[in-house]
Amino acid sequence: MTSVRSGNRRYLALWLPWLSIERVIHAGGTQSAPPDAPLATVEKVKGALRLASVDRAAAALGLHEGMSLADARATVPELLVLDHNAYADAILLDRLAEGCTRYTPHVAVDGCDALVLDLTGSIHLFGDETTLIADVQARLARRGLQVRAAFAYGPEAALALARYQRTPVTDEYAAVMRLPIAALQLEAEHETALQRAGLLKIGDIARRPLAAIAARFGEDAVQAIRRMTGEAASPLAFRTVKAPLVFDRRFADPIARTDYVLERLADLAAQAMEALGERGHGGRRFEALFFRSDGLTRRLAIETGFPTRDIKVVMRLFRERIDTLDDPLDPGFGYDMVRLTVPRHEPLAAGQLRLEGQEAHAIQQVEELVDRLSTRLGRERVRRFIPRDSHIPEQAQLTLPAMEASQTQAEWTISPPGNPPLRPLHLFDPPQKIEVIAQVPDGPPHRFHWHKAMHEVSRFEGPERIASEWWKAKDGNPAHGAPTRDYYRVEDRRGRRFWIFRHGLYDEESEHPHWYLHGLFA
Amino acid sequence: MTGFAELVAATNYSFLRGASHPGDMIKQAIALGYAGIGIADRNTVAGVVRAWSALREKNEEARHLSGHDVDLKLVVGARLVFCDGTPDIIAYPANRHGWGRLCRMLTEGNKQAAKGDCLLTFAHLTEFCDDLLLIAMASDEHEEILRRLLWRARGSLWLSATMPYNGDDRRRLVGQQALASRLGIPLIATNDALYAEAGDRPLQDIVACIREGMSMAQAGRRLFPNAERHLKSPREMKRLFRDAPDAIAQTTAFLGRVEFDLSQLHYEYPHEPVPDGWEPQEWLEHLVRNKLPERYPSGLTQEGLKKLQIEFDLIRAKNYAYYFLTVHDVVEYARGKGILCQGRGSAANSIVCYVLGVTAIDPIREKLLFTRFLSEERDEPPDIDIDFEHERREIVMQYIYDRYGRDRAGIAATVIHYRPRSAVREVAKALGISEDIVRRLTGTVWGSFSGSMEPERYRQAGIDIENPQIIRLKALVDRLLNFPCHLSQHVGGFVLTDGRLDEMVPIHNAAMPDRTFIEWDKDDIDALGLMKVDILALGMLTCIRKAITLMKQWDVGDYQLHTIPQDDPATYAMLQKGDSIGVFQVESRAQINMLPRLRPKELYDLVIQVAIVRPGPIEGDMVHPYLRRRAGKEKVEWPSPKPPHDPNELKEVLGKTLGVPLFQEQAMNLAITAAEFSHADANQLRHSMATFRNVGKMERFEEKLVTGMVRRGYERDFAKRCYRQIEGFGSYGFPESHAQSFAILVYASSWIKCHHPAIFACAILNSQPMGFYAPAQLVRDAREHGVEILPIDVNHSGWDHAIERGRDGSLALRLGFRLMDGFNRNWAEAVERARTVQPFASIERLARDAGLPSRALRLLSDADALQSLDMGRREALWEARRTPAGSLPLFEHAAAREIGDEPDARLPALQPWEEVTTDYQTTRLSLKGHPMQFLRPIFQAEGVMSCTDTCASGNGRIVRTAGVVLVRQRPGKGNAIFVTMEDEGGIANVVIWARLFERYRRQVMTSRLMLVEGEVQRSEEGVVHLMARRIVDRTGELNKLMLDEAIKASASDDRDGPSTVSLAGHPRNVRIVPPSRDFH
Repeated sequence: MTSVRSGNRRYLALWLPWLSIERVIHAGGTQSAPPDAPLATVEKVKGALRLASVDRAAAALGLHEGMSLADARATVPELLVLDHNAYADAILLDRLAEGCTRYTPHVAVDGCDALVLDLTGSIHLFGDETTLIADVQARLARRGLQVRAAFAYGPEAALALARYQRTPVTDEYAAVMRLPIAALQLEAEHETALQRAGLLKIGDIARRPLAAIAARFGEDAVQAIRRMTGEAASPLAFRTVKAPLVFDRRFADPIARTDYVLERLADLAAQAMEALGERGHGGRRFEALFFRSDGLTRRLAIETGFPTRDIKVVMRLFRERIDTLDDPLDPGFGYDMVRLTVPRHEPLAAGQLRLEGQEAHAIQQVEELVDRLSTRLGRERVRRFIPRDSHIPEQAQLTLPAMEASQTQAEWTISPPGNPPLRPLHLFDPPQKIEVIAQVPDGPPHRFHWHKAMHEVSRFEGPERIASEWWKAKDGNPAHGAPTRDYYRVEDRRGRRFWIFRHGLYDEESEHPHWYLHGLFA
Repeated sequence: MTGFAELVAATNYSFLRGASHPGDMIKQAIALGYAGIGIADRNTVAGVVRAWSALREKNEEARHLSGHDVDLKLVVGARLVFCDGTPDIIAYPANRHGWGRLCRMLTEGNKQAAKGDCLLTFAHLTEFCDDLLLIAMASDEHEEILRRLLWRARGSLWLSATMPYNGDDRRRLVGQQALASRLGIPLIATNDALYAEAGDRPLQDIVACIREGMSMAQAGRRLFPNAERHLKSPREMKRLFRDAPDAIAQTTAFLGRVEFDLSQLHYEYPHEPVPDGWEPQEWLEHLVRNKLPERYPSGLTQEGLKKLQIEFDLIRAKNYAYYFLTVHDVVEYARGKGILCQGRGSAANSIVCYVLGVTAIDPIREKLLFTRFLSEERDEPPDIDIDFEHERREIVMQYIYDRYGRDRAGIAATVIHYRPRSAVREVAKALGISEDIVRRLTGTVWGSFSGSMEPERYRQAGIDIENPQIIRLKALVDRLLNFPCHLSQHVGGFVLTDGRLDEMVPIHNAAMPDRTFIEWDKDDIDALGLMKVDILALGMLTCIRKAITLMKQWDVGDYQLHTIPQDDPATYAMLQKGDSIGVFQVESRAQINMLPRLRPKELYDLVIQVAIVRPGPIEGDMVHPYLRRRAGKEKVEWPSPKPPHDPNELKEVLGKTLGVPLFQEQAMNLAITAAEFSHADANQLRHSMATFRNVGKMERFEEKLVTGMVRRGYERDFAKRCYRQIEGFGSYGFPESHAQSFAILVYASSWIKCHHPAIFACAILNSQPMGFYAPAQLVRDAREHGVEILPIDVNHSGWDHAIERGRDGSLALRLGFRLMDGFNRNWAEAVERARTVQPFASIERLARDAGLPSRALRLLSDADALQSLDMGRREALWEARRTPAGSLPLFEHAAAREIGDEPDARLPALQPWEEVTTDYQTTRLSLKGHPMQFLRPIFQAEGVMSCTDTCASGNGRIVRTAGVVLVRQRPGKGNAIFVTMEDEGGIANVVIWARLFERYRRQVMTSRLMLVEGEVQRSEEGVVHLMARRIVDRTGELNKLMLDEAIKASASDDRDGPSTVSLAGHPRNVRIVPPSRDFH
């Protein structure tokens, strides 16, 4: 195999030693902390909290990754601890990788804190290597990120130099040979064995017959050495950029017929659905752009409550949208291009058709209706009740835009068969104060005064006692809290049914509790 | 009579459901004027004894005040919760037989389940419902099941009715009435109480959240809507049930049907230890008389015989013969197996125990009084703890299970309570407080034994105590503390019965295989007067047994534990020097410091030595007075009361200890004699001492003791000190009888160490883990006592460390494979087997003959255990890595080498420091040198003294010294931190005051190599301490040892990045020296 080193390839490694912490700092997660406090992020490993990353100050105090939080605290009590979020770190690193595509399309992510760029043949575009590094560092510094960068003939060598070599070097190969064997990133056990054999630097090993190394440390070790020295190419996994979902249709002559344009839009939708299907996704937002030959463009957007790949649904929503336009589509001198984009899409598994026929689910029909109504009336105006898990009646449900209201954990309370509903459908907000004559301590009201009328209670049931949420008490004392409510379902002489409550228990909470009407039974 | 009894009351032993202690339920029931209360926890009876004891205490108080008991009848049972859709049933035994049925049912349910769960089905209920009174928490939908139950339980089934303020209460009540009349069973009123008072609702919500693993905000309707599940007054209950007055009347009718009370649980001893045809008392006396000559070859004195007769009479009167015979039976079994054991505890003061071989102390010689703790006034069975060799205790435990059967023998439970750390964590999670705050708070709790969560803790964590969330947190944490959270098994307390144990108390499966335990803990067992034998594990017994065996094997003496020569001056001389590393009990830094001051000359001095360095005497400030009197610097006198009291009344109590109370018994007797405590009072005091964490009880005694003593003319100061000492005993009670038993082991281990240091080192190393010191220090200590230490070697070593004849013919210690990290016993045995045929000549032969995997070869070569193969360490390591594992059949009989020759690898020459560091990494010690010797030039240049020179410096000199940290200790209240450090020549003991520690916390806690500047302090007895002033962490020097010059150069400009960390690779390899052993 020819040496890759002679191929004049150039790789840039970027190592972000404090990525985790700097991300949190940049996000403002440490604003309350003193500026020079040592920081660390922690995660749970087998039930124990361990440091996942540390910052410069903490590292200087001897803290390191993998240490248990208890040990770290015993050493540095002022240590400020944040939750480790490997996912967010990975996302940030991925975004940085994306940003680096400004230099080259070949960007690979290494581990959780480094990037490798293949810049072979394109360095001159940015000046020379030094100015390129300065540019990268300046850009990352704006995001509060420190980076150590190194160029080399191979990706592993570049990474090793970035991680282990502080000062610039003239002879990269010689510098790599002087690096500790840890830079090879072998298994810990092999690394120790090499150290015990007195082989401490990469050069110590590279100079020996590789067969002797292979017999002891396996083919992987030999590969690692060969890659480090540039004798073998490494299989870098460059991140691939997902093409955005953009579909264009140009017309040879401007088209003035809106229907025709919509038919072509449907063609584009079919392409879009295919592309989405390949990704296992469904679209949540579709945008159509109509380019007029006179340079004007018109943009229309629709959204669905659930990810979809159904052309009919999408096209129907576009038609609904067009129908509701105050200012209808005007082709002018005709359209010369139409574009469909799918800016928002989410995973959607391929659906299984029912064996007995293509009957749509009732739920799905409701969802489609919601989509249509929301498209027609505006998303804020089509709302849906969702149940919430609370004993407090007015907090037991909530309305949300129907398109956002997906499943909730709570369920509606349903009275057992044969029993009347315990709560009315309609609640007053706020409850209306009423004058009541009632028995103490928890007797039913005899009569009450509401809306300038006296209601004589002929039947009642209750009380249903609902205590306040003590964990929201303002002063923190669990014994304090808002008064307890005693709810009664009452019926007056004319058969009208009301839901009323006494606010506060007699004697215990209040001397003269007030009464409120909270709802009407249908 | 129109009283009311709440029959469905849960306590916090319905784990994470109930929110009140059993005692609080009882207290509230009395306050409300109930006719009765029924305690029924979820599938358990774990809390009923607490309730029963609480009522008994209330009765005692009431009798004292008004002359009669409180008007409350307690019935105990369980709430049966089923896993097959059967509604909850509350079951109370009508009589003793019913109790047995209930326990059997729960045991059956427990056996079905993994630890901590109980799976009951309807079939269990019908099988075991004889003599049980049942309340069904059922409604219409369960009608069919109730009808089926009625086949078995007509006349003893009630239907519950509750008024939980759900809005439809009265409608439901009508439904329940209709259901009851259809079934023809009575309706009974209850509030299904989960806590004592309405104010307990927040706590109930919190435990519910803990149970569900969610926060208050998430829990929503999983919580109860209101605070009505408390004990309500009879008047209120009658008002709520005004539509069904009979349901109220049924509660007292139900109460009247229960005849069972926990006091009916009569304990019966197992009959096995008595041969057929013998009465237990006769058999015991027979045994003792037969064995008497073994212990007293020349017979007992007249006085001794009289004492023995007193013991016999007492045992007969209290019917304890079975107990002594049972313990004897266990001990005999262990003896038969050659397992060393030794008893301690109160009954160990008796001649009977001594003669039976249960204990090793001669009560006549040591003038111990058997009657002191086993008096007729105290109606409790005696208490004997027996220590066994820790490695073989399981054999004894399984013997007990086998002999008495799992339905008659069980280990006591230990109730695991919420401690500050767990309480803060759980409450905060329930309140939705962020993890970070929780970490800050729990980070301030040192250890897990702190009993409370003071405001100071919150402030220390930098948390605003005025913040509402924190106020809430604190209020609830304070209440959750000391709540039981689950049951676990006791370390070794066995309860044995003659009848079925599972008809006395339910039995659970333990997490450990082959173990079963009962639901009650040792307080419950004490309260009910059940017999418990503690089968404990003690590492030193293993060590002594191994040493005795080795002595016999190498023909240097044939001894038993009790035949080791007594009063040996050489042994005491060694102890007086403080030379006690590895010795039982007196090896800690504090004990070692005490030895030269106490200068023990006889066994009783060791008894005092063991007892004096304890929180009790230290906190009671009794140590210095004792030492001064012992040294003759202070007159021995007894604090005296004023006339007319006998001025010498304390002489009897404190005579043996020169007028200073040191033992638990003395504190007790002091209370009786000087403060006129009744025996019952003293007994209660002892109880609260043992269960010190029973909040609040001890304060009552302080008042009583101090005023009692002052009234009788003692000085208030002395009285207060006595109380403080008793308080100290609370956490670590140390009675004289225990100290006596321990002193024997102290002496035995010292004697072996003194006369056969090689054997002692070998035995203690083979009994690891135990004691204070790591193998490295034990080996070093043996070396300093002139023992030749031979390295691990494949041609000589076994798994265990062994004794060999050394070069000069004396006994030498050969280190074994067990010292190597990661090496496994099977490999070691394979090596031993294979070399009996022919010694190994090469790595290849070793691999082939012993069938070792390559990992084993690597470990052996890394640990330099291939020296006898005549290869350099580095070459051996290089070679071992390419040697194929085990045997290749094809080449089995071929003489040819399996692998080809290789050109010489020309590895760099091995440096001495590399040898030492690798030794430390693989075996945690090195026979070739000490890391410090390689750093000596650096330190010498800085003017840092060696440990030996420091110890030889004059009092008051300011010196600087450095060493590898061996042990860090922060004993007692933590005013001082003791650090022991070591260099190539010796050790130095550093004392760091707490204030200095706060400044140098990081250095103190993490240094592996520490430099200390301080003042040399030399005590009269010659103990040298370095009182630290400044501490520097020099661990970096150790790391430098690892690095090649070239690497150092490239790394030196990068001190601030993680690259220095990653340089050394795996953290384990950074450790040139093993971590110190730290004791908080």
